[in-house]
Amino acid sequence: MNSLSVIQQLMIEEFGLEASQVGSEAKLEELGVDSLATIEFMFLLEDKFKLRMSDNPVAVKTVGDIAREIDLLLAQQQAASSSPS
Amino acid sequence: MGAIAPLGSDARTFFEALLQGRSGVRRFQPSWAAAEYNQIAAPVLSELAQHFTKLRRIALDRVAQLSLQAVKESLGQSGIDFSDDAGESAGIYWGTSLGGATSLETAYNDVLVTRAARLKPSTIVMVMNNAATGQIGIEFGIRGPSYTFSSACSSSTVAIGEAFRAIRFGLIKTAVAGGGEALLTQGVIKAWESLQTLAKVDPNRPETSCRPFAADRTGFVLGEGAAALILEDEQSARQRGANILAEIVGYGNTTDAGHIAQPDQGGQARAIKAALTEAGMAPQQIDHINAHGTGTKVGDLSETNAIKQVFGEYAHSVPISATKALHGHLMGATGALEMIAAIEAMRGRIVPPTAHLNSPDPECDLDYVSEGARSLSKLDVVMSNSFGFGGNNAVVIAKRYVP
Repeated sequence: MNSLSVIQQLMIEEFGLEASQVGSEAKLEELGVDSLATIEFMFLLEDKFKLRMSDNPVAVKTVGDIAREIDLLLAQQQAASSSPS
Repeated sequence: MGAIAPLGSDARTFFEALLQGRSGVRRFQPSWAAAEYNQIAAPVLSELAQHFTKLRRIALDRVAQLSLQAVKESLGQSGIDFSDDAGESAGIYWGTSLGGATSLETAYNDVLVTRAARLKPSTIVMVMNNAATGQIGIEFGIRGPSYTFSSACSSSTVAIGEAFRAIRFGLIKTAVAGGGEALLTQGVIKAWESLQTLAKVDPNRPETSCRPFAADRTGFVLGEGAAALILEDEQSARQRGANILAEIVGYGNTTDAGHIAQPDQGGQARAIKAALTEAGMAPQQIDHINAHGTGTKVGDLSETNAIKQVFGEYAHSVPISATKALHGHLMGATGALEMIAAIEAMRGRIVPPTAHLNSPDPECDLDYVSEGARSLSKLDVVMSNSFGFGGNNAVVIAKRYVP
């Protein structure tokens, strides 16, 4: 799954950003999304995608970084749920 | 000066409303209350969210939003820009009693009622008492010392007094001084109700329920808002051609060391005396007092007697206004708001009334300007009193600036 478009839409809704601002390479810091806002957003994504982030979260610097992290977690989750127990 | 208060979203509108005797007190029907809930408050009615982006609001409690708005107005009026070196010689002196009360209550509700597994990551930086102080620095580039004063109802008067001293002692050139408060939350209101210091609601005219110095006074009404003053050393202000609104000349700060909630005439009188001493003034030089005047039985009597103790016979001649009757009790922001009222009164030579004082109390027998706003031919020196739970008493004197 590619979560990028969902994440972009959420950033527009939650942070009041424009669609033109949230391209994959857009840097969070330059958008005004500081560390607190990033954590808050990751919590939101956990709920949205029903994920559990690692206790040692990776550093995300761009919008694309967030999408890659979420996609990775989704893939891991899917693999875990489809593997025989 | 800048203010966002129950009676207006800027200092001038607020003061005009005071002169007109308009009340910011109204029936309060929050979503958490039952239909029959009978309470009043003095809320800020203007929409705050429009002033901040969604991203900025993530870490701004209501108290910080109010504070930033008041400071923004005061800086706009003063014409000061802190973007260069000026920001390093400027300080923040900010008062609040309960800081981010709304965020704290939201967090408790999330954990204890809705059983949330985790809280908003910015909860701590919204709740902490110095949150507004820090946000003021961030927003306006003020990079000198910063202090957060929390002495209940006197917090922002202490902030102004300490800023005045810091400038007088040459520690800084400029200060943003004042306070913010946003505590109209379920838990806080319920706590105040239990303390039995809130005014009984007049069923017919709820907006008149707070009646300082009146025989039928029953207490105060909780309010919210923020007020800010820009203090600057005289030389710097003159060099940049500032419009100097007033000169702060004296500050007194004492502790009752008696009871945590009961006011003490002696402690209040000592604060008034200390402010006069620092100003180098005799009581007869004070032309107007903005009283603490909350409208409680014991508080108003204590303040009346403290003024008599220091002023002697002259106590009966000085016009005293208790403006909380109209704007409510803004707790940590109230002293700064009332200082603005006192300075505006001086600028226009017209003092606001003590509203709703229709039944005089024989024991409170001073001149409380109960008839309505009063023009005075001589109004050059004003005093503002603030007395807080915990026993802190703070008094600031300002005079008309004469170059």
